[in-house]
Amino acid sequence: MVKAEAVHKSFGRLEVLRGIDLEVKPKEVMCIIGPSGSGKSTFLRCINHLEKIDAGRLWVDGELVGYRQRGDRLYELPDREVCRKRSEIGMVFQRFNLFPHMTALENVIEAPLHVKRESRASVDALARKLLERVGLADKIDAYPNQLSGGQQQRVAIARALAMQPKLMLFDEPTSALDPELVGEVLDVMRGLAEDGMTMIVVTHEMGFAREVGDSLVFMDGGVIVESGKPRDMLAGPQHERTRLFLSKVL
Amino acid sequence: MRHTWRWVGAGIVLVIVGGVAYTVATAPYLHWDVVWQFLFNQLVLQGVVLTLELTVVAMVIGIVLGVILAVMRLSPNPVMSSLSWVYIWFFRGTPLLVQIFFWFNIAIVLPYVGIPGIPHWSISTNILIPAVVAAILGLGLNEAAYMAEIVRAGIISIEHGQTEAAQALGMTRLQVMQRIILPQAMRVIIPPTGNETISMLKTTSLAFVASVEELFTRAHEIASSNFRVVELLFVASIWYLCMTSILTIGQYYLERYFARGAARELPATPWQRFRRLLFTYRLAPP
Repeated sequence: MVKAEAVHKSFGRLEVLRGIDLEVKPKEVMCIIGPSGSGKSTFLRCINHLEKIDAGRLWVDGELVGYRQRGDRLYELPDREVCRKRSEIGMVFQRFNLFPHMTALENVIEAPLHVKRESRASVDALARKLLERVGLADKIDAYPNQLSGGQQQRVAIARALAMQPKLMLFDEPTSALDPELVGEVLDVMRGLAEDGMTMIVVTHEMGFAREVGDSLVFMDGGVIVESGKPRDMLAGPQHERTRLFLSKVL
Repeated sequence: MRHTWRWVGAGIVLVIVGGVAYTVATAPYLHWDVVWQFLFNQLVLQGVVLTLELTVVAMVIGIVLGVILAVMRLSPNPVMSSLSWVYIWFFRGTPLLVQIFFWFNIAIVLPYVGIPGIPHWSISTNILIPAVVAAILGLGLNEAAYMAEIVRAGIISIEHGQTEAAQALGMTRLQVMQRIILPQAMRVIIPPTGNETISMLKTTSLAFVASVEELFTRAHEIASSNFRVVELLFVASIWYLCMTSILTIGQYYLERYFARGAARELPATPWQRFRRLLFTYRLAPP
């Protein structure tokens, strides 16, 4: 579903990604862990072209992200194409980023209605079903600032799902939440994984990685230090750097 | 008594205001009968209507063009952003009076407008741009420069996460602006825009230089025939005050509408508070 080959990304002089290679298979749940500044969020944002990569190749569902290859040259995709591809990838942010001037329901129907241009009735039914699924059937008409952090993040997940994406990206979805609200968001994500959604999750929740993740990647300094099965890696990390990191967070 | 100094302060203010009002009302050389006589004069009323029309049209041009200029200014395309920068620099940098005068005398620079090479397909600019149009162009194009900065302030006040979330859903740049950023930016944009509209109401009096018969010009014309200059300026001012009051109320409700989602509960309107006051007093035991 996602394939990366020697992906590089710099912000000015700062090299954030220094050659990332990985592959995510359909229905796989990959968790990415690592210290802050290790480039894990940046890599996630490259996958839906919120950041342009400087070198390397990145494919989603067999298509290059943000570029088109003709012969051995790459051509940047027009805006419209980039938007179409983004609409097939759901993203959930650390700070929720719900639209504050819209109710929960309006947040969820916005993109299917105006990007996919589906009919109001079908979108409405889908949105109600999704909000029910994340346990917020009674909060349909609430504005984001009337909801708790956990509830906002669940609306954000429903909003991403409303586009019926083939891939979901989670950028530290529980890091901005009160500890007691983390569980409700992880439960929704666990349900998604069980339904066979392909997911890439940047997280600090080692328990989630162990129980839900199919694979685990440890990043540091813009490279992948170690990857493997979550249980093996968390129990017996191979690299010294991984061991040091895990000893601090576990 | 609670709030003793508040009552004392209010008393002092009341005495001063009353004194000023009394002085003006009983001024021996001020002919109030002339003020009342001309307040609803046909010519004055026509001037009021034209002033309103000028204000509305110039503000519509200003807001629409201002939004376009603001979006251009923030565009990653350097041609767009510098074009917008130059426009704002020029129209804010020259006096409005000069700009209106320029449009009024455009024929000096450009006597005819037409398609080169095709005979009989040209029109005199004096016919194309009569005085009213010159005034509207001057007021509207100048306003656009100021509105552009107001709209830009509104846009950059919205945190970047909103743009990212919208882009991640597959929205185009235009959709993000139209559906996500501008509706939120409205909360920041409306108060200064109300300010601009009220200011515009009175700035239309500059159309005087193009002999456009709006409120101020009409008052001035009448005054120059009956020599009651101050009385007619009073007439004009009373009308300007009336129109400003109506706009102020309109702004209040517009702000309330765009505050949805920003406050958990909207504050009561003055009318609602007034009714609540009456209601609670009725409930209070005698």
